[in-house]
Amino acid sequence: MVEHVIPKNLEEALKYLNAKPYKVIAGGTDLMVQHRAWSALSPNFKTPLLFCFNLNALKYIKVQNDEIAIGSMTDLETLLDHPLTPEILRKVISVMASPAIRKVSTLSGNIINASPAADSLLALYALDAKVVCRSLHTEREVLVSEMVLGPRKTQLKAHEIITEIRIPKTSFTHTTFVKVGGRLADAISKVAFVGCAQIVNNQVKDLRIVLNAVSATLIRQKAIESQWLNKAPNVLQSQMDTILEAYEAYIQPIDDQRSNKYYRKQTALNLIKQFINTL
Amino acid sequence: MSTINRSVPKVDAKDKISGKMLYVSDLHIDGMYYAKTVRSTISKGFIKSITLPELPEEVTVVDYRDIPGKNNVKMIFEDWPVFAEKAISHYGEPIMLVVGPNKAIVQDVVNEIDIQYTLAEPVFDMVNSVVDYHFTKGNPESAFKNAKRTIKYTYETGYQEQAYIEPQGFIGTIEGNKVHLTGSIQAPYYVKNAVVETLACDPSDVRIVQANVGGAFGGKEEFPSLIGCQLAVALKKVKKPIKLIYEREEDMEVTTKRHPAKITMEAAIDENHHISAIKAHVGIDGGAFTGLSSVVLSRAMIAATSAYTIAHLQVDGDVYLTNTVPNGAFRGFGAPQMIFAVEMFMNHIAKDLSKDLHAYRLNHLAKQHDLTTTSGTFRDPILMPQMIEKACEMSDYHHKKTLYERPGSYKGIGMSWFLHGCGFTGSGEAEHIKAKVKLRKDEQDNVHLMIAAVDMGQGAKTTLMKVAAEVLKRPLETIHFDNPDTDQVPDSGPTVASRTAMVVGGLVARAAKQIKDNWVDGKVQTVHESYKQPEYMSWDQATFTGDAYPAYSWGVNVVEVEVDKASYEVTVKNIWSVYDVGKSLDDNIVLGQADGGTAQGVAYGYLEVMRHKDGKIVNKNMTDYVIPTAVDMAKTETVLFDNPFALGPYGAKGAGELTLVGGAPAVATAIEMAINKRIYKIPATPEYLMELIHSDNN
Ligand SMILES: Cc1cc2nc3c(=O)[nH]c(=O)nc-3n(C[C@H](O)[C@H](O)[C@H](O)COP(=O)(O)OP(=O)(O)OC[C@H]3O[C@@H](n4cnc5c(N)ncnc54)[C@H](O)[C@@H]3O)c2cc1C
Repeated sequence: MVEHVIPKNLEEALKYLNAKPYKVIAGGTDLMVQHRAWSALSPNFKTPLLFCFNLNALKYIKVQNDEIAIGSMTDLETLLDHPLTPEILRKVISVMASPAIRKVSTLSGNIINASPAADSLLALYALDAKVVCRSLHTEREVLVSEMVLGPRKTQLKAHEIITEIRIPKTSFTHTTFVKVGGRLADAISKVAFVGCAQIVNNQVKDLRIVLNAVSATLIRQKAIESQWLNKAPNVLQSQMDTILEAYEAYIQPIDDQRSNKYYRKQTALNLIKQFINTL
Repeated sequence: MSTINRSVPKVDAKDKISGKMLYVSDLHIDGMYYAKTVRSTISKGFIKSITLPELPEEVTVVDYRDIPGKNNVKMIFEDWPVFAEKAISHYGEPIMLVVGPNKAIVQDVVNEIDIQYTLAEPVFDMVNSVVDYHFTKGNPESAFKNAKRTIKYTYETGYQEQAYIEPQGFIGTIEGNKVHLTGSIQAPYYVKNAVVETLACDPSDVRIVQANVGGAFGGKEEFPSLIGCQLAVALKKVKKPIKLIYEREEDMEVTTKRHPAKITMEAAIDENHHISAIKAHVGIDGGAFTGLSSVVLSRAMIAATSAYTIAHLQVDGDVYLTNTVPNGAFRGFGAPQMIFAVEMFMNHIAKDLSKDLHAYRLNHLAKQHDLTTTSGTFRDPILMPQMIEKACEMSDYHHKKTLYERPGSYKGIGMSWFLHGCGFTGSGEAEHIKAKVKLRKDEQDNVHLMIAAVDMGQGAKTTLMKVAAEVLKRPLETIHFDNPDTDQVPDSGPTVASRTAMVVGGLVARAAKQIKDNWVDGKVQTVHESYKQPEYMSWDQATFTGDAYPAYSWGVNVVEVEVDKASYEVTVKNIWSVYDVGKSLDDNIVLGQADGGTAQGVAYGYLEVMRHKDGKIVNKNMTDYVIPTAVDMAKTETVLFDNPFALGPYGAKGAGELTLVGGAPAVATAIEMAINKRIYKIPATPEYLMELIHSDNN
């Protein structure tokens, strides 16, 4: 069995990380599955492990400088019930996994696992959320959408741990979340969608559209969004084809055991259309 | 009328809910070894070479050369090897077991074994027929000649995985010559007979005990014979206790599944728009070995007109072998595929003729004294008209139908009518199973049911004990029913084919009556009963003529759905069911079967997708093989009609499979209404619905 350590506090965790490239385990709901072995044998880990789920100092959700700050070891079930959790994030979490899994899984795990089908990322991308990465000597803040580079690839460095997720306060008049996963719990998205908009005096003041499972990383195209600001919703609706064509260029799904690319693409476009038609 | 249907707490419920109940993987024997199966990584070809690593001490490799008897898993045909010799017929075919006391070391050895193959071209299409059946009723040729028009469609169904909670497994010990296997099984004597043949030993040298079974659904009917034989061979060689438990993915990749089927139906329509004759061809994909496929095929063919009577029939069927995982027993056993085809076909004919679906189907419904597909007779009353009326009333069917049929509603309500033959097909009970039961009264006047029936969660223990208690007029606590042990109980047959309550329960009732009639307080008394085929039944297996089943259970399912316009996903809103199972032996247990059966049957129709790619199952875990969760399950409402069957205990017929077989067409016809397109295959996935919705020629 590989070396595994349970640090007592963040300081100690940072020191361990500084000494060796430990793998951080938060809830382990991705890692334990990915490294599963024949029952009753230890999981197949090759790298030493740092168990961080009991770092209570990283379990919080609070308001801080006009942002919502979430400690990285806060479990999803706690976020689901917390009044500070942004509405769209709550909607997404409510259909992630199942209650037992949510009780022991985290946003930072969902981010660093970097699955193209990760659900919480829909809300985190839409909300321009950032992560705080710390090492013994450094601290940096990175947009979640920039943290993720590709399937299972992030720009997290070997000696870093995510300590906090920061979500700028926003307000929307419209928020929509649709997960297409075959069933209502314990499902992996075939495609999922988040749409947020702020409409003031019949003008689109803010528009955010995110899709998962239809390309190597989640799709959020700020350049497309900004083209449609300060216009009336019916302008968007009347130019639906232009909007859909713009997105179509980025929607490049694959065939796998759960669905096929034609379905994923068509459904993704349908979801964008459906959202814009509700504005 | 008896009040036996009043529910009691299930006798196994407390231990299961509290977590106290032990299953085979919980069993531990000091000093036991672990076995892991080495499997082929190709779909077809030959083993060129096997290179073993240097084996650590105490690690043994077991393969076909260690088999003392026949390298064949005893079933119907002799084509299923216990271990592959040279030829490989499917991906994941067992080649050997690696056995040792330390799991990690066993795993390392498995990883280091190098097997080289000569590849051959695998066959995945249904082209290689190994079983070919055929029967007719009346004169189909002349009916087709006189037909005003003919209508023909082809229907396809996919795999279904049993998805029992507990994967397959056994634990075994050996003492002298005697092999003792405890496993998660549905048919203790099937395993015993298979092991005896493989070991070429005296039957008394094999003892099979049923462990508590965590679900089976048919998946533990014949497949455990394979593992049992392998483990028995290993026990003979290693001479240590050995445990062999499948992991979930291994189980989903290599164990038997529901046969994919392709069914072509052609109807002759007479001048009154009535169906005068049907020609059906039923093709099922047996996978790599025949196994029980011939029996599955016959049940499908016999259900060729389901709940309807058609005067003239020609029914042909084939089992095709492909280089894929062997398919086998699964709750419904060929009927779900056939009933899907029949129900869709009836609707499609009515649509082609611009007839009201409901009225058209009612006109063809089977009635008492009608001839069955195999020219036997429906002897008992058929309550379907009342049951259908009840189902319509519960679901508000007719009103909703008018609402939802409006184009663009994306809502639908669908209905299926069906029957299920209870017990083994034809003379199976009398000629092959020959069920025997034994009841023993001890000195404390407790009565022990000595039968081979297995409680896999369906409630067999509770219901059979209730039957004995009711006959004896004794409290339930004085009746005992241990998990069967072939050293203790006679062969009362496998726990399959919706036969247990009706056939075994009937024998238990007769045996209990014997004890009651000869009751002496405080005296040990033992009685035996054995199956006798009802005198009215006659069956010719060669021509498929006569009474295929002693009795039929009947059912109606109504399913209401909504289809999402953006994602094409189906939400099942409500399920209403009406069943005639003769007489319920415990209402909660039958309602439990109803909820579970419709969940499984409806999901078969729209949700559960399993495919193989180049012979490898791709949906091999519970993430990728989507079955409904508790939050996906629709509201259900079920009503039972009493229609006692003279030969069943208190009138009971079969209930286990009936509740599954009508689910798929009920949901599929609901979806058809919602999207105003025709469905020809299941599962009706959102991907398929998208194609249909976007297609002009459907
Ligand atoms: C049954 C089941 C259902 C699921 N359903 C869903 C679903 O509906 N939607 C969905 O998106 N996902 C789902 N998942 C996947 C998983 O639960 C989520 O991705 C979850 O958010 C992972 O969190 P975790 O804390 O368990 O991560 P872990 O497994 O602990 O870690 C995942 C990765 O993140 C890294 N990591 C974790 N925390 C940190 C940190 N603070 N700093 C640096 N690196 C870190 C780990 O090193 C690892 O690489 C499901 C999983 C299961 C088993």
